[in-house]
Amino acid sequence: MEQNESKEQNEQKITLIGIYVALLGLVTLAFGIADILVWAGIRPGIQVGILAIAGDDFFRWAWGGFIMICAGLFMLAGSTRVATLQQSAKVVLGGVLVWLIAGTDIFARLCVAIPADVASPAFFNSLSGFLAAFAPPYTPAVLLFPFTLGILYLIWIHDTDDS
Amino acid sequence: MVFSSDARWEMVDAITRQTVTYGTYKHTLGDVLGDLTVKPLTGIPVAFAALYAFWSVFTSFAGTLMTDGFMVKFFDGFWLPWMQSVWPDPASWHYFLFVGNPAADTCFEAFGMLTSGLFVSIGVVLPAVLVFYLMMTLLEDSGYLPRLAVLMDSVLHRIGLHGYAIVPIILGLGCNVPAVTATRILETKKQRFIMMTLLALFIPCGAQLGIMMSVLPDLVGIVMLCLIVGFCIFGFVLNKVIPGENPEILVDVPRYHWPVKEYVAKKLWNRTKGFLKEAVPFVLFGILVVNLLYLGGVIQGLANLLEPVFVTWFGVPKETVGPLIAAFLRKDLAIAQLSTIPMTTYQMVASVVLVTIYFPCVATFVVMLREGWKELIAAIVVLFVVVFIYGGIIHGIGILLGVA
Repeated sequence: MEQNESKEQNEQKITLIGIYVALLGLVTLAFGIADILVWAGIRPGIQVGILAIAGDDFFRWAWGGFIMICAGLFMLAGSTRVATLQQSAKVVLGGVLVWLIAGTDIFARLCVAIPADVASPAFFNSLSGFLAAFAPPYTPAVLLFPFTLGILYLIWIHDTDDS
Repeated sequence: MVFSSDARWEMVDAITRQTVTYGTYKHTLGDVLGDLTVKPLTGIPVAFAALYAFWSVFTSFAGTLMTDGFMVKFFDGFWLPWMQSVWPDPASWHYFLFVGNPAADTCFEAFGMLTSGLFVSIGVVLPAVLVFYLMMTLLEDSGYLPRLAVLMDSVLHRIGLHGYAIVPIILGLGCNVPAVTATRILETKKQRFIMMTLLALFIPCGAQLGIMMSVLPDLVGIVMLCLIVGFCIFGFVLNKVIPGENPEILVDVPRYHWPVKEYVAKKLWNRTKGFLKEAVPFVLFGILVVNLLYLGGVIQGLANLLEPVFVTWFGVPKETVGPLIAAFLRKDLAIAQLSTIPMTTYQMVASVVLVTIYFPCVATFVVMLREGWKELIAAIVVLFVVVFIYGGIIHGIGILLGVA
């Protein structure tokens, strides 16, 4: 009986989490397209509030933007019947791609923040200088990162199923 | 004591009862993710993302944090002025060999064994090699590398190789020495020859990448593009020209798992130790030899002799002869030397590509010799032909684009 209920839940085409994933996928896709367009020079660098797309480097914005587009498409592809294993895997894969981009963005900031400025005789940055390196604006992937943590729920439900 | 057949079977049954668990296997999320990363539609974007992360962490750690953040400051701000102040007699030959140019402001310009030599090997190349091997070990131990091999199989078959050729290719981006040894995982002589030749020609090692990032960060993309195009074209040609077979492979793809930190640390230590033992002495020795050749007037003589080929055919200045000789000892050293020669953007790209595809460094040469002298000679012949043709093609494209 309980198994049947869970199966029905899995086969529901549209669920609340599915809608969340679809919205997340759409935003990720839009950010990926924006990354590439700004890099291609359609618009000069964008800054809206705490969001910034500099578009000044092929590797970060064109290649990174392509990965964001793929992440958005994976999430959208997995958003229907999201609780099934196959669909959840697509969503998780999309989330992993966003985490990779956000993780490398945060790591790049960390690497800039640790050493002192070139002109300074000191080797290490001051605490205030270190913290200032993490001030806004942020890249789209970093801004999306906390929202993608909802995907951990999908991993958790399948982990619980396995055990 | 002799067991009857029945007794042996009973023993087998007893062991099986105690060790084997029966049941239905349930597909996990990890399994499905594993499948998705080998299917081309989903696997190729993941491969792009993995390479992106690999390169991004590599440049942030080795370039921004270690070399630009700490090493340049230490070597240019403290080490070089100290060496210049304590070493006696700046006009002497020993000053030229060990400290280099007395008027130099940076370790790249000085080109002494104890200034540029230590800066290149410890300040630039060591952080690059360290982070490269860390990332490589994580890819290997997480189970992603075999999936990348499956994904690349059909592409690599077009140049006579198979999916597992990705292992020497990625290893070669760290150091060509273990990469040449890793060509043994390829089945046929033809495959091993193609792989070895392409490694020697078109795969820049981690040391070279580190130096390129440090001295010409804006041109690394163009140089890499030239090398990738050359890798594909000449791989395709070699596959057509060289007789032999390209058999299919059966790859055992393990499940994804978290790398065990003890194994990661051990692999990282062994690989980095190998680099420190093999590369650092070569860098120091390389600078010593090149400086001796400069002092003896050999480089100047060779530059004059080879000027028509370099200037007319390749479109690069004759001063690049010196770095090309240094490239036989260490290619990273050669690129560091190139950065001090005044050149246009085209000339810099062309000369860096030439240094990369020109003769393998001496350590790689020795390992290739160990794999067979006939193959080595054949690889060198191919190499000279390719350098001549590809160098000319790049110059031709440069002329057509109006940049050469």
